[in-house]
Amino acid sequence: MAKRLSGLQKEVIHLYRGCIRVAHTKPRPNQPHFVSYIREEFGKYKGLPKKDFTAIEHLLRVGHKRKDLYSQPELKDIH
Amino acid sequence: MFRTTLRAASPIASRAISRPLVAKSAFIGASKFVAPIRFYTAAPVDKKEITSRVIDVIKAFDKTAASSEVTGQTYFHKDLGLDSLDTVELLVAIEEEFDIEIPDKVADDLKSVGETVDYIASNPEAN
Repeated sequence: MAKRLSGLQKEVIHLYRGCIRVAHTKPRPNQPHFVSYIREEFGKYKGLPKKDFTAIEHLLRVGHKRKDLYSQPELKDIH
Repeated sequence: MFRTTLRAASPIASRAISRPLVAKSAFIGASKFVAPIRFYTAAPVDKKEITSRVIDVIKAFDKTAASSEVTGQTYFHKDLGLDSLDTVELLVAIEEEFDIEIPDKVADDLKSVGETVDYIASNPEAN
């Protein structure tokens, strides 16, 4: 992380932080499920070239939508 | 004719009277439930304790590579082998430990244990 991050990269990091925070609002025994799910979902696109703006922006939108969906308190577990 | 004007005016007049009454009763009702409470902050935690608690959180974190030596000068990326997303996870875990929320702008710049400790020490809500 020695180099400066671009705006888009920061946005991804902010989304990730939001997701992890949502995971911490879930019942304690299920939190690892959420965290590993988040890691998995972000890890899927780790190889994406950072110049691929349209793809990243699209994934950001999808991610935000899914985060909102999953932050409902009725949703308690995931696998 | 006089009567009709009176009748027309009366609902307005009565509304004008009743409104403050309602407001007043609502106010009384609210004050009955919200008793004045004074909040005190706990004594600020000292830096040594913060450092040891942060290090404990880092050691409990499952992705740290070199968990043997964690000091104030340890960098998340360089020394612990964490990528940017792991750092985010670690910082959220530290937030949980101290019951605070580090704003995005600050959290983006936290790169070492020492910086994190300094920020927590400067945050009056940390405990």
